[in-house]
Amino acid sequence: MNGHFGEFGGRYVPEMLIPALEELERTYSSARSDPDFRKEFTHQLKSFAGRPTPLTFAANLTKRLGGARIYLKNEGLNHTGAHKITHCIGHALIAKRMGKRRLIAETGAGQHGLATAAVAARFGFSCRVYMGAVDIERQRPNVFWMERLGAEVIPVRFGSATLKDAVNAAIKDWIENVGDSYYLLGSAVGPHPYPTMTRDFQSVVGREARRQILEAEGKLPERVAACVGGGSNAMGIFSGFIRDSGVKLVGVEAGGTGTADGRNALRFRSGTVGVAEGYKSYFIQNRDGQLSRTHSIAAGLDYAGVGPELAYLRSRGRVEFASATDSEALSAFTALSRHEGIFPALESAHALAYAMKVAPRMRKSDALLVNLSGRGDKDLFIVARALKDAGFSSFLRAEGRRR
Amino acid sequence: MASAIDERCRALRREGRMGLMTHIVAGYPSPRKTVPIARAMVRGGADFLEVQIPFSDPLADGPTIMGACERALANGMTTKKALAIASELSSGTGVPIVLMAYYNTVFRHGTARFCADAKAAGVGGLIVPDMPLEEEASEHFMRSCKASDIYNIRVVSPASTDLRLRKNARGAQGFMYCTARQGITGARRELDPNLSSYLRRIKRVSSIPIAVGFGISSRAQVQALSGHAEIAVVGSAIIQVIERQGRGGEERAVERFVMGLRRG
Repeated sequence: MNGHFGEFGGRYVPEMLIPALEELERTYSSARSDPDFRKEFTHQLKSFAGRPTPLTFAANLTKRLGGARIYLKNEGLNHTGAHKITHCIGHALIAKRMGKRRLIAETGAGQHGLATAAVAARFGFSCRVYMGAVDIERQRPNVFWMERLGAEVIPVRFGSATLKDAVNAAIKDWIENVGDSYYLLGSAVGPHPYPTMTRDFQSVVGREARRQILEAEGKLPERVAACVGGGSNAMGIFSGFIRDSGVKLVGVEAGGTGTADGRNALRFRSGTVGVAEGYKSYFIQNRDGQLSRTHSIAAGLDYAGVGPELAYLRSRGRVEFASATDSEALSAFTALSRHEGIFPALESAHALAYAMKVAPRMRKSDALLVNLSGRGDKDLFIVARALKDAGFSSFLRAEGRRR
Repeated sequence: MASAIDERCRALRREGRMGLMTHIVAGYPSPRKTVPIARAMVRGGADFLEVQIPFSDPLADGPTIMGACERALANGMTTKKALAIASELSSGTGVPIVLMAYYNTVFRHGTARFCADAKAAGVGGLIVPDMPLEEEASEHFMRSCKASDIYNIRVVSPASTDLRLRKNARGAQGFMYCTARQGITGARRELDPNLSSYLRRIKRVSSIPIAVGFGISSRAQVQALSGHAEIAVVGSAIIQVIERQGRGGEERAVERFVMGLRRG
C-alpha cells in the first residue's frame, strides 16, 4: 500500500491530517491481516447487510434487445438499498478497533449517509452527515431516514452545495475533531488510504459476481458495466474481473443534459488532471484549477472528481468509459421496472442505459453484466416529477394541505 | 542576495519585538481593493503580507476565509491576476510577500512555472498547505522552489509528531508556519493551553523562526506568543473587520485594527 495508482492518488492534505491518516493506514493494515476482523466483517455482511446479493438474469430485457444476455448484480437488495452498506460496515469495524466514538460522513444521493447512519446506530457511534443543500432538496426522504436512525444531517450551503462541498465540510469537521471522530468517506476517493480501503471492502461484490456468473453461464462475461460517481460500486465489481483480460470493463459517467459546461459530470471528457480533496485524479475544473459545477439527475453521480484508481486503470486501457444522459437513465429506469420488476437507483440506471445501447450490437452468446448498485425507492420524488405523474403531484398537494 | 524574509526576521530579533504577518485573499473584497487594503495593513505595522490565491475547495480554511475565497472568485480573480497583485505589493510596500495557495493552483499553472512566476512577482516564500513532503517525489515542488530561489514555507500542527516536525524542519526555509491549534482557520477568543509546550517541541528540532497562525485575533493573543514565537499571523479576524465595515472605509478600519494588534 503506498496510495499511488500510477500518477494518480496520493495524500495531498494539510499536515494536521497526516498523523490521523497514518494511524488509519496502520490500523487498517493490521486489521486486514487479522482473521478475526475478516470473520467479523463477513459475519456482519451476511447477518446485517444481507449478502450475498443475487445475480439476476434479465430474461425479458435480453429478449427485447435481441443481443447479449444481460445479468444484473442486484446490490439494491442490500440493507439500506445500495452497495454502500458494505464499506460502511468495514469502516465501522475499523473505527471500533481505533476506539472512536463518532462517525462523520458526507453524502450525495443520501445512500452513503443512510448506510453510515445505520452502522452508527448498530455499532453505537454518534453520527453527523454533511449533505449539500441542493442534494437535500432533491433527496429529502433519505434525510428523514438518516434522522430516524439518530444521525444529525447538516446542510452544506457553500460552493455548489453538492457532494464535493459536503466532502469539504466533512474533512473540516474531521480536522477539528480528529481525536474522537472517524471520517467514513463514502467512495473510492480522497487521500490514501481511503481509495484502497473502499475498494477492498467493496471487492466482495466482484468476488460474488464472478462466482455467480460462472455458475450461471459457465464462462466469464464479455463485458461488465458500472456507473461511476466516485467509483465505489465500479471498483467493487471491477476488482473481481481485473485479472481476466478478456473481460471488458466499462465505467458509465453521467452525461446529464448535454456536453456544455456545467451540464454533466463527464470527468474524463470535460475534465483534466488536478489535485483536490486530498487526491490527484481527473476533475471538472477551469484552467486555474477551480472546480466547476456539475449536473446529473442522479445525485450520486453529480461529482467533480473521480476515484484515482479508475483514472489509472483508464490510463492503462483496462477500464473504458462511456456515458448516459439524464433521459437515457430515465428510460432505462422505466424499462427495468416494466420488463423485469426491478426499480434501479437513477445512478445504476446509467449503467443499465449503457447496457441497453450496446447489448443489441453484441452476440447472442455474449454475457453482459451490469452492476445494479442500488434500488430506486429513494428516487420516488425525482422520478414522479420527471415522468410528470399527475396522481403523485396531487397527492403531494393534498399532503401539504394536511400539515 | 539575502532573502527579504530572512532580513526582516533578523531585524525583528535586533529590535526584540514580535513580528506580525497579516493575511489577505487576492481579489477580496474586490480586485481593486485588495492592494489598498494590504497597504493599509503595512501602514498599521504589518511586517509581512500573506497573499492567498483563492481556491474553490480550500480544505484548511474555515467559513470566514472560505467566504472571502468565494467572493474573490466571483469577482473574477485568477492565478494570473493574483500574481499581478503580489507583484504590485512586493514592489510598493517594502515588506516581504508570502504567497499562499492550494496545490491545485500551483499544479494547474505548472509547478516549475508557478515558482518562477511567483519569484518574478517578487514573492519571497510559498505556503502550500496541502503539499506534504511525501508527495515531493511525484511533484518536485520543493525542487522547483529551490530552482527559482523562492522559499518553501512548511506548515506544521500540534498533531505533528516529533518525527514529522523534524522532517518538516529539514525542508523548511524562512520560517515554520505553525498552526496554533488542531483545526481550520478562523478567529478564536482563547489560545490553546498546550500551545507553549508544542512550540517548545518545535524549537527543539528547528532553529528557524516560528510563525503562529490560526485563531489569532487580538493583541492579547499576539502578546501571549512572545517568547515562544517570532511572528504572529492574523487572517480571519481582519476579514471580519472588512465585513463589518461594509463598503467604504475598509482601509482605515484595517489600518486601525492592525495597529491595535501591535500597540493596543
